[in-house]
Amino acid sequence: MTAPVARLDLRAYACPLTWVKTRIALERLPVGGRLELWLREGEPVESVPRSAEEDGHRVLSVEAIPGEPPGAYRVLVEKGAAPAAALP
Amino acid sequence: MPLSAKSALVIGAGGLGGPALLTLAAAGVGRLVLVENDAVDTSNLNRQPLFKEADVGERKARVAAARLAALFPSVVVEPRDERFDAGNAVELIRGVDVVLDGSDNFATKFLASDAALRAGRPLVHGGVLRTTAQLLTISPAGLGGCLRCLFEAPPPPGSVPSCADAGILGPVASFAGGLMAAEALRLLAGERGAYEGRLFTYEARTARGRLVLVRKRQGCAACAGTQPLGGTASASACEVTAGRSGELA
Amino acid sequence: MALTEDRVARWSRQLIVPGFGEAAQERLQAARVRVVGADGVSSAALVALVQAGVGRLWLDDPEAVGPADRAGWLFPPASVGSDRAAAARAALAPLSAYVSVDAYPTGGVPDATLVCAPSAAQAMAAAEAARRARIPHVVVEVDGDGGAVISVPPGAPCYACARSAAGGGRPPAAGVAALASLAAVELVQLVATPEVVGAGRRIELVRGMTSVRPTVRLAGCACAEAPAQG
Repeated sequence: MTAPVARLDLRAYACPLTWVKTRIALERLPVGGRLELWLREGEPVESVPRSAEEDGHRVLSVEAIPGEPPGAYRVLVEKGAAPAAALP
Repeated sequence: MPLSAKSALVIGAGGLGGPALLTLAAAGVGRLVLVENDAVDTSNLNRQPLFKEADVGERKARVAAARLAALFPSVVVEPRDERFDAGNAVELIRGVDVVLDGSDNFATKFLASDAALRAGRPLVHGGVLRTTAQLLTISPAGLGGCLRCLFEAPPPPGSVPSCADAGILGPVASFAGGLMAAEALRLLAGERGAYEGRLFTYEARTARGRLVLVRKRQGCAACAGTQPLGGTASASACEVTAGRSGELA
Repeated sequence: MALTEDRVARWSRQLIVPGFGEAAQERLQAARVRVVGADGVSSAALVALVQAGVGRLWLDDPEAVGPADRAGWLFPPASVGSDRAAAARAALAPLSAYVSVDAYPTGGVPDATLVCAPSAAQAMAAAEAARRARIPHVVVEVDGDGGAVISVPPGAPCYACARSAAGGGRPPAAGVAALASLAAVELVQLVATPEVVGAGRRIELVRGMTSVRPTVRLAGCACAEAPAQG
């Protein structure tokens, strides 16, 4: 079990910047590296994990953040080996 | 009639509408009406040719009209800083010879399709999604279908698409907008449109173009004139309105 | 190297295009692109390249703005008669704080070339210079409101192999902006995501429709040989 190598607090952002920043952070990680995202409820936490999966990454968990005001979620993503970014 | 006696309505002055407006003005179309109710954002500047660095925060309609007037003083440009909606759509379209839809959401695209049929004017529909450009001409007199013949209805507002669908490779939008203008110029010259009844898509990575025939769908309410104007969809939180076959400006 | 916060916001919409990303945007930002022909025809491509984030544009055009250039996107009435590269620069520079637009410095070595030359001979010469320098280049052949765009990655069949056999096309017509934009699409991909384009290709645009085919080396063409060293 590896600890997350990076954490990104995106609670201040809306789509598509949430995904822009997530994608760049993932691009900077080695394959298998993990990224912890903090996202607001609603559209960010619904669409960012889906976009990550579409891009070939693994969403390991989505959970409310203990100790934080409600409405914030922690999403753990593992960088995929062959992201959908690789072309057909 | 010369081109200088013709007019066009361009919905949106951004990634599609911008290149289309510049091309139509350069060609000498006499009167251009542009509907755009947004302000310039820094994320627009990878692709929207009417706006420069210093315009961020300004109203798009005003900036676009000023830029077009400076470059092409003989063209009459009418900026309308308002929403294109069911209240003004038919009236705006009746005032011109051809409509170009460069809007960035499904609700507006369906409304434009419905209203153009209602007003009896040809519509050039354009879209860009990621690296793909999409064109369709809807002609009131033609045999080809409309947007509702193709998709029936906009996707419901709740169906939030992937955020990656907001991605646009800048120059692909410019290509799509240029194709829209070239098509409108064909229609204004009285020629048959290249995309009448034919959905054309161009995928930039493979450089492959594809044509799909769009026939009038039996029972299409919009083609029959019984469709209430516009869809029920509203833009999602991230302006992304693309479904499985989405398009964005 | 990483994109700064303001650059991320600026190019956010293309940074999320699958297959594009930070590394691709940085390649664009680092590129020096020579554009042969900064006129009314290439104007849409120039705007698209500046906005997409090419770092440095070198405008190679010794002519003055003529009445025909008014059909482009860059040349207001008062610019007619003035230096074309300077007039284009004046219109392009305000579009982006992240690009430098300059006249082509004689002897300057670009990372890619867009050839939108007014004559076939000039197009051949510019393409050949790019081939010898082993840099990716894109050549525009205008034919009315359409024409062709030829993409030549390093090592691909050269422009002389891929150019139109029919010779010169019709003069540019309204609507040629689409063709110029298509050339910008190809150049951006050749610089930012070369693996996407792969081999050389020729894209025809006729009456709003495209067709593409891979370019093929002509028998005996000198481009088959490795370039001479030194």
